[in-house]
Amino acid sequence: MHFALPPRKTSKPPPYLPRSTRLPGLRKTRLKLVALVALVFLALIFLVTQPSSSRHSAPVQRVPRGDPPVVLVTVLDEGKYGRSLTKSVVENRLQYAEKHGYKTLIAKVGDYDLKGAPFTWTAVVAMRHALTKYPDCRYVWFLDSSGFIMNPKLKIEEHVMRPSRLDELMKKDFPVVPPDSIIKTFSHLKGQDVDLVLTQDKGGLSSGSLIVRNGEWAKFFLETWFDPLYRSYNFQKAETHALEHIVQWHPTILARMAIIDQRVINSYSNGDKEAEYKDGDLAVRFPQCPAAGVEACEAETESFVQAWRRAFADS
Amino acid sequence: MSLSRSPSPVPGGGWASPGLNIASGRSSPIPGFTGSTTTPVKWESSRLKRGFGSGYPSFETKNQSFFGRHMRRFSSGLPRFNTSRHYADKEKLGRGRWSVHSVPLLGRIQSIMGRMGRRTKIRLLILLIILLSIYIFYNSPLVYHWRRSLWLGGGQKFVIILGANVGGGVMDWKGAREWAIERDSVRNKKKYVARWGYDLEIVDMSTKKRYAHEWRESWEKVDFVRTTLRKYPKAEWVWWLDLTTVIMEPSYSLQDHIFNHLEKHVYRDINEYNPLNITHPFTDVFLDAESQSPVGDGKASSINLILSQDCSGFNLGSFFVRRSIWTDRLLDIWWDPVAYEQKHMEWEHKEQDALEQLYISQPWIRKHTAFLPQRMINSFPKGACADKGIDPRIHYNEKDRDFLVSMAGCEWGRDCWGEMYSFRELSYYLNRTWWERFKEDFLALIWFKLTGQKVKF
Repeated sequence: MHFALPPRKTSKPPPYLPRSTRLPGLRKTRLKLVALVALVFLALIFLVTQPSSSRHSAPVQRVPRGDPPVVLVTVLDEGKYGRSLTKSVVENRLQYAEKHGYKTLIAKVGDYDLKGAPFTWTAVVAMRHALTKYPDCRYVWFLDSSGFIMNPKLKIEEHVMRPSRLDELMKKDFPVVPPDSIIKTFSHLKGQDVDLVLTQDKGGLSSGSLIVRNGEWAKFFLETWFDPLYRSYNFQKAETHALEHIVQWHPTILARMAIIDQRVINSYSNGDKEAEYKDGDLAVRFPQCPAAGVEACEAETESFVQAWRRAFADS
Repeated sequence: MSLSRSPSPVPGGGWASPGLNIASGRSSPIPGFTGSTTTPVKWESSRLKRGFGSGYPSFETKNQSFFGRHMRRFSSGLPRFNTSRHYADKEKLGRGRWSVHSVPLLGRIQSIMGRMGRRTKIRLLILLIILLSIYIFYNSPLVYHWRRSLWLGGGQKFVIILGANVGGGVMDWKGAREWAIERDSVRNKKKYVARWGYDLEIVDMSTKKRYAHEWRESWEKVDFVRTTLRKYPKAEWVWWLDLTTVIMEPSYSLQDHIFNHLEKHVYRDINEYNPLNITHPFTDVFLDAESQSPVGDGKASSINLILSQDCSGFNLGSFFVRRSIWTDRLLDIWWDPVAYEQKHMEWEHKEQDALEQLYISQPWIRKHTAFLPQRMINSFPKGACADKGIDPRIHYNEKDRDFLVSMAGCEWGRDCWGEMYSFRELSYYLNRTWWERFKEDFLALIWFKLTGQKVKF
């Protein structure tokens, strides 16, 4: 009885052991390490590339470059204001714009289809149009056609819209509609968050001179203001009352609005002490003008037209 | 007696007994004790086994069988009745107990592990890992937290608002059917939410004085969306659901079903399906290119409101709103007294019509609104939108496994509870487990063939 013996060893052993693998670097122990690292790596990739809705995070808002810094918007109504006054207004805007490198958007009533709403609504569309035409502008200043820019030295972005300046100017916790509205402007609003600057006169908010900062909010605000249901509602003062309405009913708008002293951007040719124009004010408006008739208007504006021409020639 | 090897370390193994060669447990053919010089001690049993002491050890491979090889291990692992304990313990209780308890568990495991081959150990380990992962990923509560966590599953980003108790309180009494509808609907949503780690907010839609007295009736939706966004600060999407809805396929997660590939599923150009004949896009000169574009900026990131359209326009029975500044504005503008005063006679569906009106007139709304094909989030039963028969864009089809059914308008002359019930049962039926299928489709069928009796297991 015998057992199978293992085969004999060769008497000529090979000089070297054969390689265990092609790549000597990849030995068994290292292979394990490599596999482990690869596994961890793959797990990381899985976690990172996992589709989740966080990919669709809120888009970064486009910040306008500030070119031009300001667009001046005016709506002309020759029928109401007369030809010579209108011409003077256009010159006034163009000269001021040229001086500071601003752009202008001068619209005429009837330029836009308002679907039967009063022509004064053109102001709102014109501002919206300005945002479209100059997507990189920083501010839009609407000054209606019964107003002149009197002080060419003042720049909008310095005189009004600089955040620190706005902090001083804006009236906080202040009734939105003059006598004693229960809706008041926000008391914790910061200058840098303001997107809409306007003034009040005796009758309420004034939509004759206002500044809007370009951005998504501005589009939202102007489009909401222009809502067909507001236009068809027959507000007594059309777009002015619509503005008062949305400001008081919609906190998202009120939260971005600052009311400032009237004389900063909206002095009146005659009126209260706080409202009346004094030399050096930025702009002057004639609140009685279109109602009084073309001749009366021209007579009233005469001295101011001369004054702004002088001021612009001097500077 | 000389031993050719050291005594076995197996606990209880003891010394190799002469003549009992099966006990060695090792497979090497040991020449054995016969070669020893001293007189061998022959035990009776071994003598019998060897056929009366031939004196020569017969050759036996000790590898005869699995049991033969491992017998010692098994036997030593078995509990033993131990009588040879310390003699001083004689009178104590517990003597003669099963002595396995005397070897500590850890020691036993250690010894088992020690005897195990390396390869077996690895195999066991892999098996263990697989079993553990199956448990963790499919059964343990960990799944819930995984799915819920913000950066793994992302379930916390979704909140479902369920409008319960519609018209309760003032308008009418809740009968048994209304209670049943509510109970079923809530259970359906709760299950879904528990499965995917979302949040559920059940809101009370009962007619309150706050709303009933003024114009604001039925604008609660807006207020509830707003409060919900405030209550769940981590939520990104809020999903509004009416009470009379049933989630038919709880296995669909919102992420998989819609949000992972949002841009693929939605359509933003309303001309694709336009029952209201809304002129789209805007062509006014004063609008910018993005507002005039039929699809806004075309990116999924700009979608803030997702809804579906049924046969007669927008349907707010099931819609999504995303947390964003835009949404704040929408929720703020949605209800406006001037609009309401002019339109409340025409607006039968209140907030739904108001939204249509906003969509029609406001470019900033259109830019951020998207529509899902109705059957992705809001299939209708046969009774709703029934004027033109079954429409494959609108009505539920069980073959396609639609996600959600909304019994829209069932309170107007249809049987809400009946529809809810039948869809609930259909959902259970469609989502049976394989075991239930096996029992019901196979065993019960065979039983029926054999005995002619229908049974339920």
